[in-house]
Amino acid sequence: MKTGEDELNLRCLFEKPYIIKMDTQTNILQVDSLNVFYGKLQAVNNVSFHVSRGEIFGLLGPNGAGKTSTLSAVEGLIRQQSGTVTVAGYDTLHKPLHARAAMGVQLQSTSFQAELNVAEILKLYASIYGLDLSTEQLQNLLKEINLADAANKKFGQLSGGQQQRVALAITTIHDPKLVLLDEPTSGLDPQSRRQLWTRIEAIREKGNGVVLTTHSMEEAESVCDRISIIDHGRVIATGTPQELIDKHRNDPEVIAVSRRGRITLEDVFIALTGTAVRA
Amino acid sequence: MEMEISIPKTSAVMAALLRADFTTIWRNRRSVIMVLLVPVIIVFSWRGLVPITGGAFVLSNAITLGLIAIGLMGYTNSIARDRDKGVFQRLRVSPLPLWTIMASRLIVQLTLILMLTLVVFISGYNFDQISMPLSKYALTFLSAIIGGAVYLSLGQAIVGRIQNPETVNSTSRLIYLAFIIVGTIGESGLIKNESLKEGIKWTPYGTVNDILQASLDTSKWSNHTSVALLLTIGYTAVFATLGIKWFKWSTR
Repeated sequence: MKTGEDELNLRCLFEKPYIIKMDTQTNILQVDSLNVFYGKLQAVNNVSFHVSRGEIFGLLGPNGAGKTSTLSAVEGLIRQQSGTVTVAGYDTLHKPLHARAAMGVQLQSTSFQAELNVAEILKLYASIYGLDLSTEQLQNLLKEINLADAANKKFGQLSGGQQQRVALAITTIHDPKLVLLDEPTSGLDPQSRRQLWTRIEAIREKGNGVVLTTHSMEEAESVCDRISIIDHGRVIATGTPQELIDKHRNDPEVIAVSRRGRITLEDVFIALTGTAVRA
Repeated sequence: MEMEISIPKTSAVMAALLRADFTTIWRNRRSVIMVLLVPVIIVFSWRGLVPITGGAFVLSNAITLGLIAIGLMGYTNSIARDRDKGVFQRLRVSPLPLWTIMASRLIVQLTLILMLTLVVFISGYNFDQISMPLSKYALTFLSAIIGGAVYLSLGQAIVGRIQNPETVNSTSRLIYLAFIIVGTIGESGLIKNESLKEGIKWTPYGTVNDILQASLDTSKWSNHTSVALLLTIGYTAVFATLGIKWFKWSTR
């Protein structure tokens, strides 16, 4: 298994590796006809999309649209009522451990064991992903995320940006084929946000896939290769940001909400999902 | 193009979780000391009872109260807090079998139970000069684990039924207090009503105390004790089933 640029040791912590052959056309994530219910409420309605290798895919939608529910089904946190999710060729229901080993997940609100310090948290999750971090490798990892001085701090003592860096380091510690980020820039200052995007683009450069949700249309427009807009649990538009802008440029609803003299992704998004504020 | 996906060994995952959970307990050692201190105080303050009731009576009550504190206060609150903070959700998206998360927590609690029993034995020897053959110590360790399982499973049921960590905390404290009252009043002879006295004997406090006492003094093992043992296992099965059925990994 390739372990990324920092060359983490893999010693004898793995079961016999499963090798799958994928052609270049195989999607790193394939979601087909996904349906998720909470009781009688349908949170995800027949959602389908795919993510290719080396692609940053944005899942956009207003609050309560079904973004997190869709991601949760992919992550295996909730069980879909119907539909299939395949990660790196593994069905998440039939081969959940393989699917989870192939992905790195940053949840919307991340927390770790309150009594553990940053170094211990990194070592714990490295071990969970089958990596045996040496002291030197741990130091390098901490330096890489600008937290060399915070190794002995508890996670709760870190600033929002520092917490986010730790969370992303854990998300990508095993060089996952697919990275899922649920509102990763929420609450970050511009510097931390810029650094995060640099890291996400580095993941893409390696040929891994990224799925993210965000409320920032500017970020989605500048970073995502393709996006899906989801509302009331349904995918209502999919394409590159420019394709979506071009497709809806002349819609009267888009022109009506446009405020800057040029049509932006945010204009298209608001026109498609409505101007009403969601709870 | 080849893609290789490797699943970490369960033993390696378990070792990592255990290391983290034992570190957590070590960092919370003050509360662990408090849990261990209550039984020690009981052994010390009940010294005068030893010639009257026997050492087994004092030690079994001390161990039982300690087991209740471990199951209801320590385990339950740590699960409620970590669930509320999303610690379990973060673990659940990792490639580990879900059972390892709880197994690691339970192993830590079982270790605490063994520590508690050892501390009570040492206190009993130091304060009251209570000593027994090795086989009785071993049998009591086993009974403490069986008895501890009742309170751990009761804690699991509480944390399964109640989502809010503050409510879990207050509920478990209330039940802890109820058990202390049931135990101390039931054993003190203050209750004159025979059916109430008999009822207390069949509560989780009464049954666990009974099997511990009979393990410490095997001459007292009777049919009543055998029924108490079966009932203890039954309580564990019921509470554990409900606890697992009700439990949700996230409060959101």
